[in-house]
Amino acid sequence: MGDKPMLPGETGVYLVMAIISLLSVVAVYMAVKTRDLVKAVIYSALQSGLYSILYFLLLAPDIGLVYIPVAVGLIPGVLLVLISKTERWEKE
Amino acid sequence: MEAVNTYLLSVTLASLLVNFAISLYAMFFKPHYVKKVIALTILGDTVNTFAIYIGYRRWVEQRPPRVPVLTDLRPEAIEEFKNLAVDPLPQALVLTAIVIGLAVILFLVFLGWILYSHYRTLDMREIKRLKG
Repeated sequence: MGDKPMLPGETGVYLVMAIISLLSVVAVYMAVKTRDLVKAVIYSALQSGLYSILYFLLLAPDIGLVYIPVAVGLIPGVLLVLISKTERWEKE
Repeated sequence: MEAVNTYLLSVTLASLLVNFAISLYAMFFKPHYVKKVIALTILGDTVNTFAIYIGYRRWVEQRPPRVPVLTDLRPEAIEEFKNLAVDPLPQALVLTAIVIGLAVILFLVFLGWILYSHYRTLDMREIKRLKG
């Protein structure tokens, strides 16, 4: 090993980016698959949170700071209000 | 190590493409209105991420890229900024696109509310059957 670290910083950053995007694929798939719309909204909020971490890693912290309140807070909140006014389950 | 870095960046881009495809499928083939709106938000987010991804740059000679903020105006600082900073233009465009997307989603949510008060359902197949 010596003075050289096991994982260079560049590869570590790219590895975290790859893991976060793979997790976001899982979140998107679950959001599309589930029949419960409340769960779908929560999965889409999870996807938005993962994307905001991705924005920080892609060196756009201003986008990340705008994105967290808009896409994790405001849009799911409004969609939950719509679901509570209408219907919760998607029919087969 | 260079090949591993390229592979990991390709994994990121491929997962974004898969997200794009899944959300496009859900927007066209899922019958429920709220599901379509959720798919639209995911589609917009993914397209914004593509723009940010284009502006990113890889590490230059083991030095990490920088956030595009320039506070020091000496010539050598500007030279370093040119060599290391990521592209600020897509970030400015995406900041505008996020706010416009928020306005569009709010409009669609209230449209859905009115649709429900007219038809008593948000299932698109039912609404097509009840038309006229």
